[in-house]
Amino acid sequence: MIVVLELRQRVRAVSWYVLLGVFILLVAFVTVLLSIALFAFGAADAGGGVFSTIILFVLLLGSLVTPALSGSAINGDREAGTLATTQVTLVTTWQLVLGKFLAAWVSALAFLAAAAPFLVYATIVGHLGVDTTVVALLVLVVELGVIAAIGVGLSGIISRSLFSIVLTYLVVAALSVGTLIAFTLGGLVIQSEVRSTSSYATSFATDGAPVECSEPQVSVYRTPRFDLVWVFLAANPYVVLADAVPTQYDQNGFPTDLFGNIKLGVRAAQKSPDLDTSYSECDGKQLVQPTGRETIESTAPGWFVGLLVHLVLAPAALTAAWASTRTPAARLARGSRVA
Amino acid sequence: MSIVADSPGLPINGGIVVSGASRAFGEIKAVSSATFTALPGTVTALIGPNGSGKTTLMLMLASLLKPDGGQIRIAGFDPILETGEVRRRLGWMPDVLGSWASLSVRATLEFTGRLYEFDRSKAAARAAELMTIVGLADLADSPTRVLSRGQKQRLSLARALVHDPDVLLLDEPASGLDPVARVQLRDTVRRMAAEGKTVLVSSHVLSELDEMADSAVYLEGGVTASAERVAAARIAPRPWRIRASDLAALLSALDAAEVGTRTQDRNEVVVALSGEEEASTLLATLVSAGVRISAFAPALGELENTFMDLSGLIARPVADSQNPAAS
Repeated sequence: MIVVLELRQRVRAVSWYVLLGVFILLVAFVTVLLSIALFAFGAADAGGGVFSTIILFVLLLGSLVTPALSGSAINGDREAGTLATTQVTLVTTWQLVLGKFLAAWVSALAFLAAAAPFLVYATIVGHLGVDTTVVALLVLVVELGVIAAIGVGLSGIISRSLFSIVLTYLVVAALSVGTLIAFTLGGLVIQSEVRSTSSYATSFATDGAPVECSEPQVSVYRTPRFDLVWVFLAANPYVVLADAVPTQYDQNGFPTDLFGNIKLGVRAAQKSPDLDTSYSECDGKQLVQPTGRETIESTAPGWFVGLLVHLVLAPAALTAAWASTRTPAARLARGSRVA
Repeated sequence: MSIVADSPGLPINGGIVVSGASRAFGEIKAVSSATFTALPGTVTALIGPNGSGKTTLMLMLASLLKPDGGQIRIAGFDPILETGEVRRRLGWMPDVLGSWASLSVRATLEFTGRLYEFDRSKAAARAAELMTIVGLADLADSPTRVLSRGQKQRLSLARALVHDPDVLLLDEPASGLDPVARVQLRDTVRRMAAEGKTVLVSSHVLSELDEMADSAVYLEGGVTASAERVAAARIAPRPWRIRASDLAALLSALDAAEVGTRTQDRNEVVVALSGEEEASTLLATLVSAGVRISAFAPALGELENTFMDLSGLIARPVADSQNPAAS
């Protein structure tokens, strides 16, 4: 009941349809441009790139819209004087809070539904595997739910709706941008010294092979230790999404879509830098860079840690909202009224 | 769960029973001790100046706010321990007129019915019935945001009545209503009481409560006035308004009758009299003295008078007390 009421009352307004229309236009625009750009490069499987970009775009817009829809779900009603009249009915506080959460989630998912035609197009064009599509959609749905839950939770705890909306945005920003900043700054602050010993060829045989090498030259420099702070990124919803999706590789062993490239970047950050490198042109060893596939397969998937953090955060927020909305109310937030 | 032991000597099978209820917000004691009983089949007025704790008390009765101490029974149930049972039997009309702005009047009432666990057809039937009762049938399909204050007030009343509650709490139900709507409200409230419901009406417009209430609870500074104080206030001198075409004759007749306290106001004289008996005696005296009286009536309604007396305002019966709504 509350879900229907909420959807009819709060969400199903003209402005919301306008928003949805703008969103479809944006996605259409991005899809067309991406298709042109990627196919112009001659990438045979550009569909993967288009698909992953649209999914990330839906997450971006969803995380921008959902706080506005959910961040005033409870205190907005209190300000409008409709919360207390609902609370005196036989509706329980859990029904109220969960109803508002589901309504916010459903309305965020409407954006995903609106993007469906473009996703279908990208799936077909990109010959994507079922696993990629399903996992990507599933994680996206869960992440939008997490944002909706945080919004509803904060709207229950904080009495002013403006504050709770802003705070919801800040939480979303902390997760998506803040983790990135923490990761970058953390990595730069914790630096280690690298001793790099290298000797270069001074004379060559007729076939170009090095014959004689210089004395080993030692250089010392400092390198950021991203491997110690990569966990920050694990809590990032975009990273969770990218990291969770099974990656498809090209013939060189590198990912073909945006998810895979983000995943590769995050996984590469896990690797500890070699703090004592040595290289000589004369010992016949080639410097081999690992492929993307090797990097990804040799590192730990962090997405389920991040997802777990989110899945703890969401019920915690809803429970807090329940506790502060419960009636008969024992404690009231400063300056708030029941009705 | 022993209700009898909690509130000895009070009716246990209905109405509103409150004993020693209190509630503080931080340092501020909004209600420090409220004790009263409202019986089924009667309309009880809850009277008090602004900030006296009326709304806080209403919220405690409406099962929205937990009392710090004391006992409350709504239709025999405890709002804290048996919240569901209380809510099934309780209709609450808040002083804040919130409505789901984009829903129609009909949808609002249907949704409210559904929130009381009605099925779809029962909710629709009840909504139609209520719109007729409160006179909103013409506006059934307009969104509630276009309603005037008075219409919202009526919608709010209808919403409180959706589940046909035994106990009705009306917080300032008449504010913003035009005179016709007030009469309709009074009739509706009287009809509810005649059906055996317990009705508690709060207001600071005392004249309108005078017309509909059977008894009154006076709340001031978070404390309900005791029955003895109310009884004493009832028999305390109250102002009567006397109008005569010949003011000089009236004044000399009053001098002859040795009526002490009096003030003059335009072509009327206001005198302090204790009770109906003294008033009829004075009227007989004046008439037999040949004064032509055109009006002889209490200057304040009964509730108003008691209230003014309890709040220490009675000593100065002045003309502007005619308009207590200006508080």
